[in-house]
Amino acid sequence: MKKKYALALMLGAAVPGAGAIVLNHLGIIPFWAYAAVLIAGFPLFLLGLGLFWMAREGKADVPFLGY
Amino acid sequence: MIAELLFATFFGLLLLGIHRKVIARIQRRPGPPVWQEILHMLKFSFKTTWVPATASAALFVGVVLVAIGIWTAALLVILSGGSLLVIFAIYMLHKIVEHGFGLSSGSPYGKFGGVRSVISAASEIPLFVTVAAIAIFTKSLMISDIVAYQEVHGPLLATIPLAAVAMYVVLLSKMPFGPFSIVESKELVSGYKTEHFGVWRAGLEVCNGLKTYVLLMTFILVFIGSLPFWMILVAMILVTVSLSFVCALSPMLSPYDSVTIQTLIAGLMVAYVALLGVMS
Amino acid sequence: MNEIGGAPLFFLEFGDIVIYFTPFTLTLFLLALVFSVFVLVSRPERQIDIAFGGDAYYAKEISLSELRFRRFMSIACGLACMGAMVTGDVFDFTLFVSLVGICNVGIVAAVRSRHVQNAAYQYGLVALAGTVPMFAAAAMVAATTGTLSMLELAKGTATVPVAARALLVLGVMGEGMAPFYAAKAEMFRAPGAPYVIMCSLSSLLIFLRVAEVILLI
Repeated sequence: MKKKYALALMLGAAVPGAGAIVLNHLGIIPFWAYAAVLIAGFPLFLLGLGLFWMAREGKADVPFLGY
Repeated sequence: MIAELLFATFFGLLLLGIHRKVIARIQRRPGPPVWQEILHMLKFSFKTTWVPATASAALFVGVVLVAIGIWTAALLVILSGGSLLVIFAIYMLHKIVEHGFGLSSGSPYGKFGGVRSVISAASEIPLFVTVAAIAIFTKSLMISDIVAYQEVHGPLLATIPLAAVAMYVVLLSKMPFGPFSIVESKELVSGYKTEHFGVWRAGLEVCNGLKTYVLLMTFILVFIGSLPFWMILVAMILVTVSLSFVCALSPMLSPYDSVTIQTLIAGLMVAYVALLGVMS
Repeated sequence: MNEIGGAPLFFLEFGDIVIYFTPFTLTLFLLALVFSVFVLVSRPERQIDIAFGGDAYYAKEISLSELRFRRFMSIACGLACMGAMVTGDVFDFTLFVSLVGICNVGIVAAVRSRHVQNAAYQYGLVALAGTVPMFAAAAMVAATTGTLSMLELAKGTATVPVAARALLVLGVMGEGMAPFYAAKAEMFRAPGAPYVIMCSLSSLLIFLRVAEVILLI
């Protein structure tokens, strides 16, 4: 995955998440909607962050088969 | 809520680090520093990452998302005092996640780890469900009701100690290096997580941190009741250290023995719950 | 019923057959949905096997016709599983669970390998035998209480005999393949992902749901 897409994924998860925090704090959206955004967004954010941060992209290879 | 989520991740990983340190000290090794698991998570997210050529790609990646998502949901359920049955469900779904991790890569090692995870579900799920015996006393499975019950009647640990033992065995089977941790046994390289490297493994570490935190928190809320927050954290460390003693002093069982012993314990629990049901 | 799986969030009524979502059943439903989507979009794995006696290894491929059939069965299994998670009727529940059993046999039996088909045959026998106690349980519930609706039974006006609950659990254990049949290594000789994951998912989901059902009724 290109780092650009990873950054987009990370921000795409972070922005609705931050929005949900603010909206829930202001009492505009109920708790369950906030929880749903968080449950869906947190994993995507973490993976996006990791893929954005990772050292480099490699080529696909067959699994580890033993020493 | 974000703050709690991050705290739970890091504190859970710290508990796993303490677990490793205590095991090492019992076995008279120096052991890694207690923050080693946190470093692991950060290290893995900086590693080269790809999807193996033989993997079932969507499942390979998707299962990492599901792993983090379900334990985030479990944390929210705990914090909002939801149903204990939902925690059962998420615990069970973690079995599917382990199976998915192992199955999706095409590696024989991962596959065996995943298959062992499904076999052990046969004994761990009944074990966890026997914890529902508390419903006989509390008339409810909502964690908030269970905590409220204990404020009036004292800790359930004293009322139904054997149900606490069942939950303790569940915790034990989820700790690494324990007698029942057959899914990541060393003859399978790293078991179900063999092929999830780099960022995928970092995601799995986050899931492990959250899982440890949530399961220990459930144990304390359900069997000891509500304590001040710092006391809960201290109690979690104490439970972890006791688990470390068990893990350090017992060998890993073979898969069938592990399932047999857990099934025997689950059978005892069912008899105990039936007895409680008749007496009440 | 508030105390079992959380307060109900939503009711969908089809006459006297009610579908309801509690936090518990909603969690299970969503997971069945998510994994069905994975099955739909995922390519199958190419399982690596080692040729004994040397360093050689080979990747097993899955043929297109086999892929299509297994994918169809997996998705059918996902749908049946979603139905079993949210239904509020004991008889519908048993129907969905027996459908899950049939689809699980289908997922495994599509593989053209003698070992795998033997395993599928044996599991099929158990699944067929499992339907007997399960439908017997539903019949006993209807005969003793006069209703099959879980919402009516949850009110506690009529007690369901312990034998009916025991038979229901027994039947569902027969239908759910994963934990008991995972020990049959034959089943994993064929490339499994993402289809075999539906076997284990659906089995464990119906176990959880039956735990809720017997606590409820």
